Amino acid sequence: MKKHRTWANLYLIVVFIILYMPIFYLMYYSFNSGGTMHNFKTFTWEWYQEVFHDDRLLIIVLNTLVIALLSAAISTVVGVMGALAIYYVKTWRVKNALLALNNVLIVSPDVIIGASFLILFTIAGVKLGFISVLLSHIAFSVPIVVLMVLPKLEEMSPTLIDAARDLGASQWHMLSKVILPFITPGVFAGFFMALTYSLDDFAVTFFVTGNGFSTLSVEIYSRARQGISLSINALSTLLFLFTALLVVGYYFISQKSSRLYGIGGRK
Amino acid sequence: MKQDAIIRFERVTKQYDGVAVLDDVSFEIERGKFYTLLGPSGCGKTTILRLIAGFIEPSEGTIYFHEKPINHVPANKRQVNTVFQDYALFPHLDVFENVAFGLRIKKMKQADIEAKVKEALRFVNLEGYENRRIQEMSGGQRQRVAIARAIVNEPEVLLLDEPLSALDLKLRTEMQYELRELQRRLGITFIFVTHDQEEALAMSDQIFVLNKGKIQQSGTPKDIYDEPVNRFVADFIGESNILSGCMIEDFLVEFAGKRFECVDKGFRPHERVDVVIRPEDLEMTAPERGKLRVRVDSILFRGVHYEICAYDENGNEWLVHSTKKAEVGEEIGLYFEPEAIHVMHVGEADDESDEK
Repeated sequence: MKKHRTWANLYLIVVFIILYMPIFYLMYYSFNSGGTMHNFKTFTWEWYQEVFHDDRLLIIVLNTLVIALLSAAISTVVGVMGALAIYYVKTWRVKNALLALNNVLIVSPDVIIGASFLILFTIAGVKLGFISVLLSHIAFSVPIVVLMVLPKLEEMSPTLIDAARDLGASQWHMLSKVILPFITPGVFAGFFMALTYSLDDFAVTFFVTGNGFSTLSVEIYSRARQGISLSINALSTLLFLFTALLVVGYYFISQKSSRLYGIGGRK
Repeated sequence: MKQDAIIRFERVTKQYDGVAVLDDVSFEIERGKFYTLLGPSGCGKTTILRLIAGFIEPSEGTIYFHEKPINHVPANKRQVNTVFQDYALFPHLDVFENVAFGLRIKKMKQADIEAKVKEALRFVNLEGYENRRIQEMSGGQRQRVAIARAIVNEPEVLLLDEPLSALDLKLRTEMQYELRELQRRLGITFIFVTHDQEEALAMSDQIFVLNKGKIQQSGTPKDIYDEPVNRFVADFIGESNILSGCMIEDFLVEFAGKRFECVDKGFRPHERVDVVIRPEDLEMTAPERGKLRVRVDSILFRGVHYEICAYDENGNEWLVHSTKKAEVGEEIGLYFEPEAIHVMHVGEADDESDEK
């Protein structure tokens, strides 16, 4: 029995090593003064300095953050409204159909979504750039928010809504004083998911960026293909740490909300 | 009596997908009384409550509130408040804010809200619990918060949807006293829904017994217990011996193969009837002194009394409650007063309610 467990643990460790190895390899060489991804010479901050002196790169980082925050915020609003709409659908057949349409968007390949957006924007005459990227990011984030918020709504006892109406609440009061506070953890989860999806999206963005506008993932891709500077490594390291920070932040928020409601936060 | 009616149902029917949950029901609710809607699950009692609260609208008929039709008045515009079965307290608010919910919606001043919430919490014996979170309260305490949240809005009618069903027996009995007391102090109308006949008998001024979407009988607890109108009511309210019989003439009824003197009259001669005798009205005596001879089949000790199950020579089962013990297999006599016999029309209010 005990031996069995050691093998299981070993397997787990190996899997994690394989998954994290390339990332740590990349991070390790971001401190290499040798300028290559082999033969570690001496420790240096040089590449990080280069990143912070690269104005073009900083603008792209800013673009990426603005896109991520804006698209996450807008898609959270749209997604919550969508989840409420699905929640209020009475016939389960229609409800399931809507939910299925929502889920198809999540599982369908990014390449197809990206290509279809490219066609749509070209036909509609939308100039490729900030707006096109923002719109497409909102579009693929909304289904994610819906998926995070809907279980929270279903978890809510319908008598809570009856109780609010019974105490004189109008539709607006019901939403603002009962439903929204109840689903807040789900809304936050949806926002953070949308944020991370937007930050690391490559495929969709690659299709719909035009000249003069780029996000970090697209930029890293094009620079990595040229494969000259270790500043890419430095940049990737920073990005990884930022994402890790988001995960930690999300953990604390869900911890707080699960304590608040006396129930397990996300399952 | 008429001017005291707060709520009046006039031939109200409620259907779901063509199935009537409530079938052509009419009744009146008066000011300041404790009403109980009693019936098995699915009898339509909760439907009546939801109709009064305004969560659903009747399919046919009219509901009057102070003689004004309120069929289409939404729940948030009605002068009634509900205590829900699962309490439906808001988990993101503390006790104070839960109780203050209705007042905040009315945009009352903060000082007034504080005073009113304090008073409501005092009414339900929860002073000092203002800042507790709902998750920290026990079932009985949540129950009280739910009541405070309802009464703080000063409704004319308080609706209670099986509020005691989630509590344990001891707490439930305690809350029965408290609810009755609360109703007297507030002087408002309570409409209480339950499937527990003891609860209904103990607390109510007036009971409506419901079955299959119809009111079988309404009356005081004593009326309903002593004079059930049909087999269903007699069977649902307390334990009873129900036998088929024949009304020979006024004051003379035949059942179990014998004729007995009784106090009922006004039946057609030789009408088929149902006869009820409550188990506690049967007295055990020596075989030769009883009106009936029965053989004891089984005996159960119930604490306050023995529950004796016996059969007469015609095979009718007799349930007897007695403080005296009997032996299994023993032959005993059963004696009862003429007043103990209650004669009912067969199927009244069940199938022939239109005639009534």
